Amino acid sequence: MKIRTLRLLAKEGTNNLYKNKLMSLASIMTVVAALFFLGIVLLIAVNITSNIEAMKRDLDITVFLKVDASDFEREEVIAYIEREKEAGVISQYRMETKEQAYENIKSELKNEALLKGLSAENLPESFYIKLTDPAYSDEVIVQLTKFTGVNTEYGIGYNKSGLERLEKILKVFNYIVMVILVILMVIAVFLISNTIRLTVYARRREIEIMKYVGALDSFIRWPFIVEGILIGFVGALASFFATSQAYTWLQNVLNSILSSMGLSTLRIIEFSPVALHIFAIYAIFGVMIGGVGSILSVRKHLNV
Amino acid sequence: MIRFVDTTKVYSNGVVGLKNVTVNIEKGEFVFVIGASGSGKSTFLKLIMHEEAPTEGEVYVNGYSIHNMPRSEIPYLRRSLGVVFQDFRLLPNKTAYENVAFAMQIVEASPREIRRQVPLALALVGLSKKAKAYPNQMSGGEQQRIALARALVNNPSVLIADEPTGNLDPKTSWEIINLLEEINQRGTTVVVATHEKDIVDTLKKRVIVLDRGEIIRDEQKGLYLNEN
Repeated sequence: MKIRTLRLLAKEGTNNLYKNKLMSLASIMTVVAALFFLGIVLLIAVNITSNIEAMKRDLDITVFLKVDASDFEREEVIAYIEREKEAGVISQYRMETKEQAYENIKSELKNEALLKGLSAENLPESFYIKLTDPAYSDEVIVQLTKFTGVNTEYGIGYNKSGLERLEKILKVFNYIVMVILVILMVIAVFLISNTIRLTVYARRREIEIMKYVGALDSFIRWPFIVEGILIGFVGALASFFATSQAYTWLQNVLNSILSSMGLSTLRIIEFSPVALHIFAIYAIFGVMIGGVGSILSVRKHLNV
Repeated sequence: MIRFVDTTKVYSNGVVGLKNVTVNIEKGEFVFVIGASGSGKSTFLKLIMHEEAPTEGEVYVNGYSIHNMPRSEIPYLRRSLGVVFQDFRLLPNKTAYENVAFAMQIVEASPREIRRQVPLALALVGLSKKAKAYPNQMSGGEQQRIALARALVNNPSVLIADEPTGNLDPKTSWEIINLLEEINQRGTTVVVATHEKDIVDTLKKRVIVLDRGEIIRDEQKGLYLNEN
């Protein structure tokens, strides 16, 4: 096919889009709605994932030393932690001395009576360790229990099974999102091809005439595909705008609700960091939905 | 040019369109195909254009064989034909000029060629002045002339006209028929399906009469006659 023919077909498609304003608008609205739902599902997924990731990062390993641990035993543990930090396993740690532990308890308990008989001396020293990756937790915990100064009586504080459950849920959730996306995509293609079918039906005489004059199938198909792609792209633009507005509004509302409920560790993420991804996804899906929808609806009318 | 060899067409609902038709139309001929509705007249034309494929037998058109023709070849067969219909079939959202030019764009003619050929085709049918008019701004006769210009602009060797005057008053009908004759005199084979007695009897061209799918009469310089 020659370049000028391609240009002609692109022009035909664009003109048709404009000439059939009402139908085009209906098709565009279909795309807008479909992509909007898709965007909502995606953004919920992104939020849940990012919050779980944040929770995972926040899980500390807490190690208590025995109350009567010697200086040597303590130095041993510190040396181990420092080594692992250098190796990139531990991202940071904090040591709580007996005195700090006493101050913490004092500020938490407030009741002087309960503090009676309690002194810094009979409180343990402890370490709060953050890992660079939760995958290291098993290894680190095993190593820590080997030290004689570490109190293993109550175990080393780490909600391993909880985390695993969380990750399993996350995995299942991702599959569910994938399935929803595919279903949405199929529905969108179906809806759009139905709407485009109406525009094709309105122009079946035109297609027939083109066939009689000896037009190749591709010559007939391309203007419709161009039209579909344009519909998809314009729909993607409109839907992106709608999504960004709706999401930003919702983000503010939800964040203030969350913080008023004291759940300030949960954050609804900002729109701008994911905006480009969302836009790319919208554009790709929109163009695909429009193009495939057109191909499906023209096919039937090509057999003259 | 056009050759039917023992051609039978049975539609999927069992209706017989053509029954064992064998006929030969030579290059440069002017042929009337006549017959009552249901006689097989439309089937005859549809097979030539490959709107339908024959059930049995073979049809040769401009060197293409219609039976078992691959889909991809159909457009090229149709480009070798010019077709005119009773209802004109112009694109309503294009001007007369654009309608004619469209037929050339489809065969990927160059813009220069289009600019040269389209005015010639419009002049041939006597409608140079209507180039910028849309179909709904023209009379039926004018629309049919534009349709003729479109059919001829790619210089087809065969012109098929399916009841070209069916929607026109007698005076306009004659204008179209005279044009067809003129086109024929330039060497184009013309096949006209009609049931207008006056026209057939006046022109005294070859007449092929169909009845219930069979050719019952085929004469040079024939008359319409009402024997059927």
